Amino acid sequence: MVASVKVPNSARGSLTSSVPAEQMTEIARLFEHRRGGYSLEAPFYTDPAVFRLDVQAIFGQHWVFAASVAELPEPGDFVTVDYGPYSVIVLRNDDGGVNVMHNVCRHRGARVLTESSGTTGNLVCGYHSWTYSPEGNLIHASAPGETSFDKSCFGLKRAHGREHAGLIFVCLADEPPTDFDETAEIFEPYLAPHDLAKTKVAYQQNIIEEGNWKLVMENNRECYHCDGHPELACSLFPTWGLTDGLIPAHLEEVWERNKKAQDALIDRCRRYDLPHGVVEELDTRVAGIRIARDSLDGDGESFSSDGHRLSKKLLGDLRDFRLGRCSMHLQPNSWFHFLSDHVVTFAVFPVNEHQTLVRTTWLVADDAVAGVDYDLEKLTHTWKQTNLQDKAFVELCQAGANSPAYEPGPYMKSEYQVEAFINWYVQRVREHLA
Amino acid sequence: MITSTTISRAEPQRIRGLEMPWNRVLSSTAGPAGAARALGPWHPQEFLAECVETVPESGGMMTFIFRRVDGAPLAFRPGQYLNIAFPVNGEDQDSLNRSYSLSSSPTEPWTFNVTVKRDPTGVVSPWVHENVGPGTVLEMLGPVGAFHLPDADRRARYLLLAAGAGITPIMSMVRTIHSLPGQADVIVLYHGTAPGSFAFFKELGYIASVDSRVKVFYSLGNRREPEGWEGLNGRLTASMIDQVAPDANGRKVYACGPASYLNNAAEFLGSLGVDDTSIHMEFFSGDHQTRMEYRAEVALAEDIAEEIADSPEEYYESQPAAFGLYEPGYDSQGTLEAAGLQLESVDANPPLPEPPARESDTESGTGFLDTSTFGTVGTGSLTLSFIRTGINVRIHPDEQILEAARHAGIKIGANCQEGMCGSCKIVKLSGEVEMNHQGGIRSREIDAGKFLPCCSTARTDLVIDA
Repeated sequence: MVASVKVPNSARGSLTSSVPAEQMTEIARLFEHRRGGYSLEAPFYTDPAVFRLDVQAIFGQHWVFAASVAELPEPGDFVTVDYGPYSVIVLRNDDGGVNVMHNVCRHRGARVLTESSGTTGNLVCGYHSWTYSPEGNLIHASAPGETSFDKSCFGLKRAHGREHAGLIFVCLADEPPTDFDETAEIFEPYLAPHDLAKTKVAYQQNIIEEGNWKLVMENNRECYHCDGHPELACSLFPTWGLTDGLIPAHLEEVWERNKKAQDALIDRCRRYDLPHGVVEELDTRVAGIRIARDSLDGDGESFSSDGHRLSKKLLGDLRDFRLGRCSMHLQPNSWFHFLSDHVVTFAVFPVNEHQTLVRTTWLVADDAVAGVDYDLEKLTHTWKQTNLQDKAFVELCQAGANSPAYEPGPYMKSEYQVEAFINWYVQRVREHLA
Repeated sequence: MITSTTISRAEPQRIRGLEMPWNRVLSSTAGPAGAARALGPWHPQEFLAECVETVPESGGMMTFIFRRVDGAPLAFRPGQYLNIAFPVNGEDQDSLNRSYSLSSSPTEPWTFNVTVKRDPTGVVSPWVHENVGPGTVLEMLGPVGAFHLPDADRRARYLLLAAGAGITPIMSMVRTIHSLPGQADVIVLYHGTAPGSFAFFKELGYIASVDSRVKVFYSLGNRREPEGWEGLNGRLTASMIDQVAPDANGRKVYACGPASYLNNAAEFLGSLGVDDTSIHMEFFSGDHQTRMEYRAEVALAEDIAEEIADSPEEYYESQPAAFGLYEPGYDSQGTLEAAGLQLESVDANPPLPEPPARESDTESGTGFLDTSTFGTVGTGSLTLSFIRTGINVRIHPDEQILEAARHAGIKIGANCQEGMCGSCKIVKLSGEVEMNHQGGIRSREIDAGKFLPCCSTARTDLVIDA
């Protein structure tokens, strides 16, 4: 199901226009001279002008993960997502497609929808009751005495929206990047068997991390720090990202177990005709992606202390609980874990240069009953704890970037995906500035 | 002359899982239909049944085909059993009660089968084999037991394990699934002592040959493999389960047989990752505690049956709605039912919220509260009762409800007044309106009793939560 509407959006003001030319030159120089293999210079994490450029070049130009179909299953259901200065309405329309609109009233600019999610017929601004259809057309504005008021000129600004395998993406650019179709073709066969359309939201967590959005993404792209995740380490092999020859002595036993579990998982994937191989194009395409199905420790089923399932209802038409985790990273703002019994989606929405909203959503089969088929506390425990630990790590780095003593350090071999993310980011901004 | 007719066909509906026919009937009618009442196996009853035929089975078993003396069909779930009184010591002496699994399918409810293995050392089974035949009438209680397939299951992937006479309830399940459409996936692993000891061997082979959903594996429990044997050999092991059902951990397991066999099965299934809650077992033999549990189950069934016999009307009223195939809760009925509690049900027509209680809340025609004590304003053939405001407004059928309400001093916020913005949305507790909205309200909201008074007229008297 794809709903994509092309609407010229050229009237938007330039976000960086307020940055003095001299400063802009300095920022462009930073991007031009970024030292590969090393973390970024401090201004990338601390400078409001760089943040404005990030919003313009990255979040204003690329496909951004907004929500899953489980969050807006029926016509009229909506979510609003805010990033940087933007607020965007994502609404399930009557045709089953997705409408994406800027959450800015065309009268005096008020936020039209103030809830983060809900259901609505038309969209009514709370200020002067300007009323828009689900397509964004202005259909009612009381106008006593007005003679030349043309409602058709004041529809909500539309943006692009599309849905692939139950994931909804939005793009604010006039001309969205064109290679997203290819990326979707890569991930759809991996995700489709989990049938997100037949899931429901079991829990959603929003946390604000006191750190730049890039630090949040960087932290997620490596498991070098996974010693800091005791709950996650029960099921996720901490050898993730390592290969033969890179295994430290204390992880050799785990590595052997990991290889054995991976072989068993591949057998199962072949039996059920599930794709499992690694596709890694984090910085070799505009819609960067990494996806693979990896084994889990213990029973190999889910993110629990013994690897056993956390929900007793299998997703979709999956036949087996022991399917490890199908994990996907998408540039610029999301990662996902698709398991046999539940799905966890992570969306990153920058607030400003030093604050980021991380939204984690746990999905279970829509016929799973809380307290019977799953225990909400147990379902969410591992990633709630892991998110808090990651928040602390990100905040340590932000604090460091603020220090005059900070200078970029080298990424280790096991952090090659962090380098790929940064490389992707730098390339995209350079292209934008060119 | 050749003419052709195009028959337009609806989009083919894929039946995703398994659903029992009584469930379908109940979910497609406003109130329980008569047939579904008779066939819905919610509660046990006591009844008389007449044997109409006997069929010898291999393995020393005999199938007895019965029909109810009162002519009613027998309602049960595949896997359940009957408790039957056998006058082993003559008609004047106390009968001996025994429980036997039903082996037939409830989708052929006009007759039903129990299959009895002759135990040469037993008191009852040899008597049954020798004395029960066409014309024999027996007192029965049932259906009993929580060991049965779910009424609706969109996944419907099963591993059915049977040893010896443990095949009887499993046979009922296989026959039921075979008789129904749907996307089930069934693996039967059936243990016997010798090649000739497998009851229903031919029928199972036939079903497996014509029904791609069903696979049947046989294994001999002893170590000596006779010549020509093409099945498996050896007692149940974890690797044997894994061999026949490598996706066992994603299946619901139903297992029936002797206690030692079932205890082993539980251990092996656990080691293969099958969750305890996915394993259902019926013991054909057992220790003292198991026997006591079955006795308690039968005693509870007897109590319920008596209660129903005392007040059949109340019993039918209390029958739940069908379990939605895609709704939660449909397969959790076993324990609730065994406890004699009303089953968790999905109510297709949830009651509207109760209006706030009032002093004048007494019996009235509206069923909510007494609106006859309200003051009445306006003229017209229909009455709008605003229960929060406590006023009746007389209205003509062509009058806008919002306008009439406002004239009567009822505060309802409204902006566009053209059915677009939805700001005047209110709830009606009874009655019908004619609404010409322009997108200001969703069909889900209308289903929940909401309407937009700005673009609505009254068709009947209305009770409004405003």
